[in-house]
Amino acid sequence: MAYDKPLPRPTPLSQPFWDGAREHKLLLQRCQSCGAYRFTPQALCRECYAEEYEWAETSGRGKVYSYTIVYRPQTLTFMDDVPYVLAVIELAEGPHMLSNVVGCAPSDVHIDMPVVVQFEDATDEITLYKFRPAE
Amino acid sequence: MAKRRDVAIVGVYATKQERFSQRSALSLTMEAIHGALDDAGLTMKDVDGYLGFTFPAGSGMGVTDGNVAYQLNNPFGLVDRYSGAMALLQAAAAIREGLVETVIIAAAGSRATADGRTVAWTRPEYEFTEWTGSMTPAQFALQMRRHMHEHGTTVEQMAYGCATVRNNGHKNPDAIMFQRGPYTVEDVLSARMVADPLTLLMCSIVNDGGNCMVVTSGERARACKRPPVWVLSGAMESRYTAYFEAPSLEMLKGREKMMKAFGRAGVRHEDVDIVMIYDHFASGLIMSFEGLGFCEIGEGGPFIVENIGLDDKHPVCPDGGNLSFSHPGNPYNFKAIEIVRQFRGDVNDLCPQSAEGVHTYDRSICRKVRDPKLAACCGPMTGRHSFAILAKD
Ligand SMILES: [Zn+2]
Repeated sequence: MAYDKPLPRPTPLSQPFWDGAREHKLLLQRCQSCGAYRFTPQALCRECYAEEYEWAETSGRGKVYSYTIVYRPQTLTFMDDVPYVLAVIELAEGPHMLSNVVGCAPSDVHIDMPVVVQFEDATDEITLYKFRPAE
Repeated sequence: MAKRRDVAIVGVYATKQERFSQRSALSLTMEAIHGALDDAGLTMKDVDGYLGFTFPAGSGMGVTDGNVAYQLNNPFGLVDRYSGAMALLQAAAAIREGLVETVIIAAAGSRATADGRTVAWTRPEYEFTEWTGSMTPAQFALQMRRHMHEHGTTVEQMAYGCATVRNNGHKNPDAIMFQRGPYTVEDVLSARMVADPLTLLMCSIVNDGGNCMVVTSGERARACKRPPVWVLSGAMESRYTAYFEAPSLEMLKGREKMMKAFGRAGVRHEDVDIVMIYDHFASGLIMSFEGLGFCEIGEGGPFIVENIGLDDKHPVCPDGGNLSFSHPGNPYNFKAIEIVRQFRGDVNDLCPQSAEGVHTYDRSICRKVRDPKLAACCGPMTGRHSFAILAKD
C-alpha cells in the first residue's frame, strides 16, 4: 500500500541527510572548524559560525529526552497509528531530534531510555528515521 | 510605586469571539481597528505605527510593510507583524524614541478563509517535524513531560491551573466556553487524553475572532476618552523557532533577563495583581511563573496551586484565557485587553449590575479582580518568550 502520511520535502541544504537515510545512515552536519554537530540542518555552525561542514555518519544512538503518547492527532492521516509515541531524542553526538519511538509498548517508553535509530523506507526517495529501544 | 508614565494603552476592542464567524480575518481585523480607535477617541489619521495582522497582498509587490501602509493609506513610521506583549514593547520603545506617537496593534484569526492563519504542519519548512505526527499539543506535552521529570511537577497541579482558568471563562458571557463548567481537578484529569500528559481540558480551544489595541504617548494619552493604562516595562527573548525545532525547556534560562524588567518598571513581583499568562496549554500556566521569576524554576506547580485564584495573590486570566475565552490563532492582544478592562472596571460577568461596573465578588458569578493596579501581560512560553508590565493610572 502506498505511503499516505505527510513526507518531508528535502531542500538543497538537507538533501544529503535524506540521501544518507536512504542508505540507512544517520548523518549530521559536523563543523570542519570546531567539530560540533548540528541538527536541524543549518548554514552556519551554532558554536563558531563557520560555514564549512561535512556530513558525518553518527552512531545512531541516543536517549529519550522527553516523550508524549499521542491519542488525538491533528490530521486524520495519523489516526490509524494512535496511540503513538512522539519523542525528543538526545543523540550521543549532542543534537536533539524529534522522532518516534517504535518497537515497544508506548507505556514502556521513559525519559533517559537508551534508543537506537531504526530506518523505515517510506517511498523510493524518502526513508524515515525512527528510534527503538537499544539492547 | 511605578515610575514610567510616558506610554499608554488608550483603546481596546475585541470582536465577538465565535466558533465559526464565517468572516474573513481581514474583516475581523478592520472591525477591531475601528473599534479600538473609537474606544480611544482617535481616528486612523492619528495613527503613525502599525503592528500585527499582515494585510493580504494587493496587486503590488506582495506582503510587505509598504503593502500594509499602502492599504491603510497611512505613512507609518513602524510596521511589524507581532501582537501582544512583544508588540507593546516594540511600540513603547518606538514611542519613547520619538519614531512614532500612536500605534495600532491588531490581530485576527478565522477558519472561514485562509488569510490570517496558516494550516498547521503543512508548510514545507516542517521538514523535520510533520512526518513524525507531531502537532501543537504534542509539542507542549513534550515540554511538560520533561518538566515533570526534572522537577516533579504533577498532573494534579496542571489540572488545578486549567480548572481555575476555565472556571473564570465559565462566568464570562463573552467567552467561547461560557457556562461550560465549573470544572474540578478530577474533571480535567478524566477528560479525553490528547497527548499524554495533556488532556483535552488542558489544551486551548480553537475559534475565530479579532482584537486590537491602541498605544500612544503619555501626552496624547491624557487627551483620550478613557483613562490610560501605562506600559511600564517588560522583556522579550527568542531562542528557537517553535514547531520547527525539537521543544525544550531552554526558555527558562531567560529568567534573569525577565526579572530585570521589574526593576526597570520600579515594581516588585509581589505587587502584581493580575497575571495574564499565555495559557495555550497547562505548561504555560506553570512555566511562565518560573520564567518571569515569580518563583524558582521547578516550583511553578506548587506555586500556582497557592496563588492564581481570583482572591489569591496573583489571579490568572480572569477572562478565561486561551483555554476558555478565545484562541483565534492570535490571542496575544487579549492578554492586555483583559488587563485594561479589569483596571477600568469594564468586566462582563453574571453579577446583576456588571454593566454598571458593580460587582458582588461572589465567585460563583463574579470574575472581577478586587481593585487591581498592576498586571503582567505575557506572551507564549515557547522558543520566544515575552511579557509587559502594565499599571493602572
Ligand atoms: Zn564550529
